[in-house]
Amino acid sequence: MDFSEVVRSAIEAIKINKLRSALTALGVIIGVAAIILLISISAGLQKYISGQFEKLGTNSIFILPGKFRPGPQGGPPRAVNKLTFKIAERIEKQKNEAIIDVSPFVEIDVTVSYKNKSKITTLAGVKPTYFVLSDIGAQTGRTFTDRENQVEAKMAVVGQTIAKDLYQQENPVGKVILISKKSYRVLGVLEPQGRAGGIDIDNQVLIPLNSARKLTGTDQVNSILVRTSSAETIPQAKERVEKILKQSLSEDEFSILTQEQLLSSILQIIGVLTVALGGIAAISLIVGGVGISNIMLVSVTERTREIGLRKALGARPRDILSQFLTEAVILSFLGGAIGVLIGYLGSLVLSNFLQTFVPFWAVALGLGFSTVVGVIFGVAPALRAARLQPVEALRHE
Amino acid sequence: MNAALDVKKISKIYGEPPNETIALKNVSLQIKEGEFVAIIGPSGSGKSTLMNILGLLDIPTSGEYFFENRKAANLSQNDLAKLRNQKIGFVFQSFNLLPRTSSLKNVELPLIYSGVGKKEREQKAKEMLERVGLGDKLFSTPAKLSGGQQQRVAIARALVNDPFVIFADEPTGNLDTRSSSDIMQIFKDLNNEGRTIVLITHEIDIAKLASRILTMRDGQIVSDVKNRPKKQIIKSKRKGV
Repeated sequence: MDFSEVVRSAIEAIKINKLRSALTALGVIIGVAAIILLISISAGLQKYISGQFEKLGTNSIFILPGKFRPGPQGGPPRAVNKLTFKIAERIEKQKNEAIIDVSPFVEIDVTVSYKNKSKITTLAGVKPTYFVLSDIGAQTGRTFTDRENQVEAKMAVVGQTIAKDLYQQENPVGKVILISKKSYRVLGVLEPQGRAGGIDIDNQVLIPLNSARKLTGTDQVNSILVRTSSAETIPQAKERVEKILKQSLSEDEFSILTQEQLLSSILQIIGVLTVALGGIAAISLIVGGVGISNIMLVSVTERTREIGLRKALGARPRDILSQFLTEAVILSFLGGAIGVLIGYLGSLVLSNFLQTFVPFWAVALGLGFSTVVGVIFGVAPALRAARLQPVEALRHE
Repeated sequence: MNAALDVKKISKIYGEPPNETIALKNVSLQIKEGEFVAIIGPSGSGKSTLMNILGLLDIPTSGEYFFENRKAANLSQNDLAKLRNQKIGFVFQSFNLLPRTSSLKNVELPLIYSGVGKKEREQKAKEMLERVGLGDKLFSTPAKLSGGQQQRVAIARALVNDPFVIFADEPTGNLDTRSSSDIMQIFKDLNNEGRTIVLITHEIDIAKLASRILTMRDGQIVSDVKNRPKKQIIKSKRKGV
């Protein structure tokens, strides 16, 4: 019995029970669609983060609190944060020709309010150079100046979400904003930046670094960004920074990472997340496989007479085996293909809210995995059919 | 000449003692190529069991069976499948056609299992259907055919691989008398061409068309007589419509 004949008769059998076939494939459809959707979200997040790092350029090094170990055993540092403004100032004072800028970065969650509306947001203290380096500008109004940073001006630049939620119809520029109950003046509204990995990047308020230092009341900073004159001078800059940091901190209280190291570590974490999410989705695919197995067993029982007849007409056990196995695989493969399509459409819809991306390997994985599920869960019913005794099968009512 | 089908002291027992049922008891039988054998007997006499063993669909509990000098017990599943495909044609009481499948596709089925290509398959199946008088019903599904027509499709299917023996288990059991005589005429013609026919029936009128009549009772052959069949099939009086 040649293969095209096997496929043809399998498709025929699937067509005869259209509704049942569709319901059977549903489990696989949902499983594969979920895999595609979850992968598209985390792949979108990876793309977004890589894009942000590219904007920073390759001539940056990051100083982070605690010991950060890139690699499979790595992860975010857990030690107490001992990075301070004072340390940043010391680097600034003792910098060599390789270092052109030292920017501490402060980020805390605060409540901001205007009139009777309030919202929890991310407050970041940044140097005025931040806007240039990150390639973010004000859509209306302006960003703050060096002078305003020096005098610890109570001025703020707000993201789109803040502008919408707090000021609604009003133009926020020139209005007051209460940050932790202290009043600041809104200088401008940032350009829209969208969402990444479910996080609303437009929900943020930026104030001058020195103002943030005063507001928090502590000297602590989240990280320090050091810009070097070029990519080649990174080792030189790194050496100097390390020497300065060791004067006040022990070796496991800070980490110096180049942009590349930091990016690869972050992508690694997202990768682990992707696998975990995909694994959860894969469970639903296995449930779908059990459904296929179940229906195929019903089908074998229903068609016992047919199997007996086929054997009487000269079907070998392997002809019957391949007939039922092919049927299961086609069902699950079709389910997989529909699932890929639905997952892809779903990610297109989601892309209105956050960055998504369906990599080719996710499609291949979805189709491949669903086919494997068909083989694994189709074998038992198919073997059962192949082993039926012709005379008993023919007698079956 | 050796017998084409040679049964030596076979028994068939279903179930375990003390609840066993003895379907066949020490049956021996030789059928030569070209014979037209009718097996007759009440239900439960073991005639279907005997035919299933002859047709390589079942195996005896004891005794030996030689199909064209090949010992059935020594044949593998694949050998058996091949013999059923190439040497044997089956016709069943309930037709056993694939539902929702055209006559042509039904008749093609044995050819699919013998690996015949699509074109040749369709050609042969068409010829066979024309031969049984269904040249105009190639694409009809069984649901659109009368009982007699369905049985003719089944006969076409049994013949398509040119087997030397046809086993028919009550082929007229579900048919009216008119269709029955049509079907029996086809069997007569096939036998006249030299094909071996083994036919199970419980109607003595049908059995009388064969050249040899076996009578079974309680799992044994109680009589085995030569018969001079009537040349012409009796056109039974058609009762009602």
